[in-house]
Amino acid sequence: MSRRGILAAAFVLVTAVLFGGTLLVRDSASALQPSRRQIREMLAEAMREDLGGPRFGRPPGHDFYFTRAAYTSYGWRGWSVDYPKADRQFLIGLRRITNLDSYENENSVLLTDPDLGKYPFLYTVEVGHMAMTDDEVLALRRYLHQGGFLVVDDFWGTAEWVNFAHEMGRVLPGRPIEDISLDHPVFRAFFEVNEIVQVPNVGQGIRGGPTWERDGYHPVVRGIFDDEGRLMVLVNWNTDLGDAWEWAENPYYPLHFSNYAYAMGINFIIYAMAH
Amino acid sequence: MFLSAFEWLLGSPPVAFERGQIELLVPWGLFWIAAAVVGALVFFLLGYRRLGRRLGKRGRLLLGAARFAAIALVLLCLLRPQLVLSLVVPQENVVGVLLDDSRSMQIADGEEGRPRNEALLAAFPDAAAAGRGEAALGDLLREKFVTRLFRFSEETRRVTGASELGFTGARTDLLGSLTRVADELASLPVAGIVLMSDGADTVAGGREEDLDQTLLDLRTRGIRVYPVAVGRPEFDADLELGAPDVPARVLRGSLLEIRLPLRATGLAGRTARVEALDEGRIIATETVRLSGDSVETAVTLLAPAEEAGVRRLRFRVAPFPGEVLTRNNEQSVLMEVDDQPLRLLYFEGQPRWELKFLRRAVAGDPELHVACLIRTAEGKFYRVDVADAGELAGGFPDTREELFGYDGVILGSVEASFFSQDQLNMLRDFVSQRGGGLLTLGGTSAFGEGGYRDTPLAEVLPLALPEEAAAPADAGDPPVPTAFRELSVLPTRAGSLHPVARLDPDPLANTDLYRNLPPLSAVNRLGRPKPGATVLLEGLGASEEPEAVLVVQRFGRGRSASLTVQDLWVWQMDASIPLEDETHEVLSRRLLRWLASEAPRRLEVSAAPAKSLVGERVTLRARVEDERFLAVNDAFVEAEVTGPDGVISGVPLRWTGQGDGEYSGVYVPTGPGTHQVEIRAGGAGLGEESEAPRAVTLFEAGVVDDEFFDAEADPELLARIAEATGGRLFEPDEAEELLTDLSLAESGTTVVERRELWNVPAVFLLLFGLLAADWGVRHARGLP
Repeated sequence: MSRRGILAAAFVLVTAVLFGGTLLVRDSASALQPSRRQIREMLAEAMREDLGGPRFGRPPGHDFYFTRAAYTSYGWRGWSVDYPKADRQFLIGLRRITNLDSYENENSVLLTDPDLGKYPFLYTVEVGHMAMTDDEVLALRRYLHQGGFLVVDDFWGTAEWVNFAHEMGRVLPGRPIEDISLDHPVFRAFFEVNEIVQVPNVGQGIRGGPTWERDGYHPVVRGIFDDEGRLMVLVNWNTDLGDAWEWAENPYYPLHFSNYAYAMGINFIIYAMAH
Repeated sequence: MFLSAFEWLLGSPPVAFERGQIELLVPWGLFWIAAAVVGALVFFLLGYRRLGRRLGKRGRLLLGAARFAAIALVLLCLLRPQLVLSLVVPQENVVGVLLDDSRSMQIADGEEGRPRNEALLAAFPDAAAAGRGEAALGDLLREKFVTRLFRFSEETRRVTGASELGFTGARTDLLGSLTRVADELASLPVAGIVLMSDGADTVAGGREEDLDQTLLDLRTRGIRVYPVAVGRPEFDADLELGAPDVPARVLRGSLLEIRLPLRATGLAGRTARVEALDEGRIIATETVRLSGDSVETAVTLLAPAEEAGVRRLRFRVAPFPGEVLTRNNEQSVLMEVDDQPLRLLYFEGQPRWELKFLRRAVAGDPELHVACLIRTAEGKFYRVDVADAGELAGGFPDTREELFGYDGVILGSVEASFFSQDQLNMLRDFVSQRGGGLLTLGGTSAFGEGGYRDTPLAEVLPLALPEEAAAPADAGDPPVPTAFRELSVLPTRAGSLHPVARLDPDPLANTDLYRNLPPLSAVNRLGRPKPGATVLLEGLGASEEPEAVLVVQRFGRGRSASLTVQDLWVWQMDASIPLEDETHEVLSRRLLRWLASEAPRRLEVSAAPAKSLVGERVTLRARVEDERFLAVNDAFVEAEVTGPDGVISGVPLRWTGQGDGEYSGVYVPTGPGTHQVEIRAGGAGLGEESEAPRAVTLFEAGVVDDEFFDAEADPELLARIAEATGGRLFEPDEAEELLTDLSLAESGTTVVERRELWNVPAVFLLLFGLLAADWGVRHARGLP
């Protein structure tokens, strides 16, 4: 067969396969369109496989474990952004500055893990793409009502906020997400924090470009409170504390962002462990 | 029967031989008698040798002894033995008669339901009733003695007849009345005192030394007491509630632990439902199975103290059919429910979850205020829940004034070297002298691991610290404490009854409750609980031996508790705990309340007796301490007593001179009802006038019902009085015997009487018997 003949045959074959396949897919899709819930389940399953349990065995007996909440999200593993370097670098600072008896490594836990209650402090990021399963919603609701504390970080702009607010509405229906003013004790639990700083991602921080992403121009600290007025969820929107911890050792990353991020992180933990 | 036979045979009652002396009228004849005895012996021996062959050895002995005894008896009679007695001269001696006028004499425990006082009224009838039937004791006494009648209950008064008795006395003061009557009759020739009572003393109760002293006093005065016992020492069927053991003051919202003694007679196998009532509302019930052996047992009731103020708690058991006395099925007690919050200090050497969850647990308890101090970095402290900007601003208190302002202290994971020696001493004194509570929690820097072994705090802990406790970890060591272990926590037997650990009144259900809780973890190596400490919760881990998890003990004036686990908060956060579960909250609150609720205030007051009679002296006592909880002896202390009618009277309290900081004063209630006593103390070291310590206590006048408790007749006490004074115990129908005893007095005006003994029937019968035996043996053997 001539070269041209081979190409023509190949074209016909590929076209046929593609066309036929599309038809097949279309047929099954119309009959078996996976629901939103099924997609979530598939994602959660993929994440569980990905996570493969804790990266390091958690030795018991420490007073504190810096714990990342692993949740299901759309398309990618949002919770694991900056993980584990940010966690480890933050823990170095936490252990040096305070006398907290903290485990020195990262500790990631599925929201549905029966051991979730052993870690009354949770940190998680990129909640703009959060898509929790119903089991995760129930587990997180229970965790927060029992006295757990959740810190959310690194999500930007209106669209991501809308998704996060929706997910939180599932966890704590009817509870508003309110601004936390600078006179709240969380800003003085260890360090005195007098302004909310927008911490940029590593690229923008090193280049010295704008600190915002998407339409998230102003950094905000918000919270969800329980019936007794106790803070349950602390939300850092339009800011990226995690990157400031992760790149704190990078000489090009501005020091004042890292300083601020450490101060905030330590304040959250000391506050959470006392209130 | 025996006594009258004795008297017929020997001519006098046994007591006459007891008291009198036997003398021989012809003592010089002894020599001749002895000679005659020897002669007779020789005569018999010679005489019976001849008969030996026919009689045998035994018969010879028998015959010889009988005849020898007969001759000896005749010879003894020749010596004219006499009983020498000292007898009272009729109408020249006084007999004091003490008649029990207390309410217990109304108890109808006699045959066919007759009350105790019936025997008394029969013995001392009115003039109109006299002369009917059998001679009454009173009449017999009057024939021979000058009688002085007294009624007695809480006081003693002269009466002319038993008809003056109303049997309404609220107490029975046996010893006091005996002493007073003895005093009153001191200048008269006294033949003795007749005491007609059930012996149920309600005043001396248990004061052994007083009893001994009074009896010795009577004996040295030569006054014999002749008690006549009425009533029965044991009821057929009766249930009695004892005085409830309730703290004078309790914090509102606390679970009140009431120990109620209970005694049942003749009700074995029955069950009794004990109810506790607060102003008519049932606040606790407990069912007990009775053992009918009259042994005192105790019921522990746990009741919530919900409303602040003065509460009257009543306890009752429904009467059983056939119970003799039902008045003793009820008890009541006054108690103050306080709503002044307890102040505690929680110090953590490092941020820990325990603090967060303990704070959350007590947040809903208005009576607990826990100020928290956390060392977040070296020399850096974080304060939470402080009352004002100044509280704990300087870190952990370093003056007694500051530390002793708290009622309880919780020490988390903080090494001993953090504290100065002064602070450690102060912490020990906080418990032993100030009377505060100390709770020590497990943690990497607690107990032996925190270096407490050779510090003053080791004394306070309810657990011993072992020598080999881990040394504080070095930087290079693995981060995991090697003693880390998980423990499944269960209540001990003591824990199931303790107000802290008893989450369910049923011990089995209580254990199940704990069994369903997730395990906790501990990191400290600990020794055994100290003697005197009580283990409330214990944990089972890998080793077979359970280890103490919650241990409590008293230390000096205060309390010490150790919770050896480091994460009680797991019982709040674990996924297996239902959201609505309150175990962590309840346990934490109870523990802290128990720890601090009995911490004394700077001014502590009491009124005794708490249940008084109208017109009785009520002693008001106060203990005054300054801000450092050191006793103050020069304070100005005044009590304001508010009677039930609202009238307020002031009573100054003076330093007793007996104990540091102790003051007392006396108030006499003029009417029945609840009296409130408010005491104020002022002076140097006690602060500004507005801050001067105040305290309130209560007492009740005119409601004494002691007579119906422990009301069984007590012939043992009466017998003891009789024996110690040389008298004798009689029954009401032994009037004649009593009179005989009284007539043989050694005190008073007496004459000597000699009674021949040779002519009593007993001698004749004995002689006759011996001779008959002699004749009988001879006749049987065919001897002449």
